[in-house]
Amino acid sequence: MRELRAISPGKLGYGCDLPSLERALERDPHYIAIDAGTTDIGAYYLGTGEPFYAPSSIKRDLVPLMRAAHQRKIPLIIGNMVATARNDQLAFGMSVVREVAREESLEFRVAVIPAEIDRAELLRRNSAHALEPLGARAPLTTAEIEESAAVVGQMGVEPILRALDAGADMVVCGRACDDVLFAAVPVREGYDPGLALHMGKILECGAVAFEPGSLHASAIGYLRDDHFVLEAADPERRATVQSVASHTLYERSDPYLQAGPGGINDLSDSRFEQLDEQRVKISGSRWVPAERYLVKLEGARHIGFRSICMTGIRDPILIEQLDDVLATAEKKTRERFAGEGAFQLIFRQYGRNAVMGDLEPTPVAGHEIGLLTEVIGETQALAAAACMFVRGTLQHADYPRILATAGNLAYPISPFTVPCGPVYTFHIDHLVPVADPCELFPFEIERVGRIVAPV
Amino acid sequence: MPRLREICHTIRSKQAGPFRLTFDIVFKDEATFRRVREGGSVSKEMIAKLYHQSIDDITHVVFYEPGRAVKVTMIRPKVAGDPGDGDIYGCQQHVPLLDAEVVLA
Repeated sequence: MRELRAISPGKLGYGCDLPSLERALERDPHYIAIDAGTTDIGAYYLGTGEPFYAPSSIKRDLVPLMRAAHQRKIPLIIGNMVATARNDQLAFGMSVVREVAREESLEFRVAVIPAEIDRAELLRRNSAHALEPLGARAPLTTAEIEESAAVVGQMGVEPILRALDAGADMVVCGRACDDVLFAAVPVREGYDPGLALHMGKILECGAVAFEPGSLHASAIGYLRDDHFVLEAADPERRATVQSVASHTLYERSDPYLQAGPGGINDLSDSRFEQLDEQRVKISGSRWVPAERYLVKLEGARHIGFRSICMTGIRDPILIEQLDDVLATAEKKTRERFAGEGAFQLIFRQYGRNAVMGDLEPTPVAGHEIGLLTEVIGETQALAAAACMFVRGTLQHADYPRILATAGNLAYPISPFTVPCGPVYTFHIDHLVPVADPCELFPFEIERVGRIVAPV
Repeated sequence: MPRLREICHTIRSKQAGPFRLTFDIVFKDEATFRRVREGGSVSKEMIAKLYHQSIDDITHVVFYEPGRAVKVTMIRPKVAGDPGDGDIYGCQQHVPLLDAEVVLA
């Protein structure tokens, strides 16, 4: 029976475990795929275009992957390059790819597939018929498009297939559904898309789906015509029915029906079998193409600028009445800055209910409180000024039965307040119908690392 | 009635995209999974009450046999990272489930 072997070395920039990667490569893979981004990190990165991992960390992981792909002449597929995969983040990722190719004398034909959607294009598509919401509450509006800092579309398997057809040996994608990074090569070879996508879904987090799990370590998938097998690269990790089935649930809304670009992967009849101590076999996953091909859009808009102040409170007499003291400080701050612009003031009481807020089942203060004071203002100057003012007001606030009249806040860090820059919110999570799955994702082939011999 | 923390292998929460919060409740063994499913107490009503949310905002309570697990998904009370949200990644929102009591059939 024919077989296609995929390896997943974890997350690009997270720190691939090199011995684990070496062990995975010993299985003689047909391709390597890796994810380099996520929306788990909040809207800041989609709003600003900053990378999430340090450039040096991204390079450190790229070097062994590009070396291995080059040496073995196997495709390397990188998706969500980098962070939220805006065009500037993709361009930054490509600059690291070029640097590695040059320094390591590696040649690649790289297909670069951007996924950022131009505002004018989006307005045009939204004008006839407002785009329907996925997670967002209402159809997309013109104002939401105009306010967006960036919008990316989540590509399916097709743009990657097209890039491979064009002769790319390395594919660097902007925003892509993470499982398609692993499914593209097999789908191109005629393997079952349901199995290929299910395998991709489990492999995209490296060895997280094993016991013990790790996002640093490598995982191997063996795809065959009617099933796939998963195995960890490291002997101390086991794929178990429990660990793999659990990962099928991970970070998805529905365990059986997993919607993606162009259809739904139906896992209702998936079977998980323990092959031996180390490996699990999966079969029965079924891809159901949708009538309309829908691409998910993600967008963020700017809502202000933030300054923060982190302090500790230990005095039990103050902790008992902290809500009242904070309310008074907020009132004084609002009076002081009346007419100077809009701002939000948020107190988070770590040790009481900062983590869960209104969902907290036991909002009881501990013996100390970490107080994070946050101001989001129209300008950074306003946020900084209001944050410093409320801090000072709290520091010397008077309250009933006070004994400690020197001050109320313990500071771990100077400067006392820190500007955090612009604040963004996710506001677009909508679906755009497309006639051609590739129409939003044009690609270009770039030769990297080519050494031109002197004439 | 046992508390979930006594009969589970895994109880975790995470964002499923910025607009959803999802929970995986994985039981220690298949027999317990079946008894909880048949017991009928794990429902949208139970989750809505536990998290003080409207029942319409609980999008999924699905028993997942291959994983001997219950998958729960809700609309996030605050979009990830919006002002006032305290857990962008969403991995510390499982706590009310730990002590929730369930009926074993």
